[in-house]
Amino acid sequence: MSAPRGELGRFLRRLPLSVLAAAAIWVVVRPVYEPALCRSAEIAARMVEFPKVAKIQRDDGHALIGRTDLRADSAWLKLSLTQIHFNAVPFLALLFAFPGARPKGTFRRVLVAVGVLLLSHVLALVANVKVFYAADLGSWSQSHYSDTARALYGALRYFFDIPVTFTLPLLLWVGVFRERVLALAGMAVGDAAPRPSGRKERRPAAPA
Amino acid sequence: MAQWQAFLATPAGRFVVKYLVALLVGFVLIALKPVNDHFVNPYTTLVAHEARVALNLFGEGATVQDQVLSSPRFSVKIFNGCNGLEAILIFACGVLAFPASWRSQVVGIVGGLVAIQLVNVVRVVSLFYVGVFKPQWFAATHIFIWQSLIIVFAVVLWLLWAQRYAGVSAPR
Repeated sequence: MSAPRGELGRFLRRLPLSVLAAAAIWVVVRPVYEPALCRSAEIAARMVEFPKVAKIQRDDGHALIGRTDLRADSAWLKLSLTQIHFNAVPFLALLFAFPGARPKGTFRRVLVAVGVLLLSHVLALVANVKVFYAADLGSWSQSHYSDTARALYGALRYFFDIPVTFTLPLLLWVGVFRERVLALAGMAVGDAAPRPSGRKERRPAAPA
Repeated sequence: MAQWQAFLATPAGRFVVKYLVALLVGFVLIALKPVNDHFVNPYTTLVAHEARVALNLFGEGATVQDQVLSSPRFSVKIFNGCNGLEAILIFACGVLAFPASWRSQVVGIVGGLVAIQLVNVVRVVSLFYVGVFKPQWFAATHIFIWQSLIIVFAVVLWLLWAQRYAGVSAPR
């Protein structure tokens, strides 16, 4: 084994509290984050469309997606914002659960990982905007989008809704603590690998 | 970049690449319509039946129609994303990509499937009772709490299997 079993034990003991801490942080951050997420996604959606008409409003934990160039009584898509950003909780929980000092460069990796996670939330919302345009606006969708476009946007939404949402916390955690996660699983990564558990490394005997 | 290339040349690096490929293949597979119709939906119905059996132990008189679990007090539909399949993929791909003997992998996958199924039944049953007693908490419990827990559980399960039961058969 590369990592002492003790480290896995400490990780597992810290995990319940880490989950609670992550959930508490997210509950506090959420009221600020959700409007920012909706606004960012609206800007991103408008960057890839002409005319720029995407409208995303926050409504009690949901995003209301519409178009400003359609009649006021046209359909709006209502979707749960929690479903998009809940994966910050397992990501933060896994991050907090690692015991001990952080190796050099960890803070930079955490910042990059958080950036990727937030970007994935924006892109998930944009994917939902595109599916809304292509599939949910009845005859307007039929006349403006082909079946191929609908299938592509549907696949894009699936990609962000399921694989990205569920696996990104884990993948980003591995990215941040690459050496330590793999060592925890019993694999050494270059020089960063811990020594075998419970034994001191012997120096070769000096020549007589 | 050179650091990443050096990492990818190690067994750990190869594991990460294999894991990513396995996840990609797994998630693409379960998205295909024939797989969805002939595997994912029947599997989700099975999850609903497992939860029905558990609920009926508490005298709920629950029934299942397709993926809808109903009792006189509450009904819940189990969708793709709530059936535990994502946790199974996260775990099983990690096991398959890991440099371990096939025997360890088979034991890991079978044991992991059983463990994730059990946790998923607990999830569905607990959500059912949240729906009965605190319906206003249902959405938060369903998404915020249980989906987070199921991801963390799959990761923990894989770590336990990798360190305690798999051993590493690849050269360092």
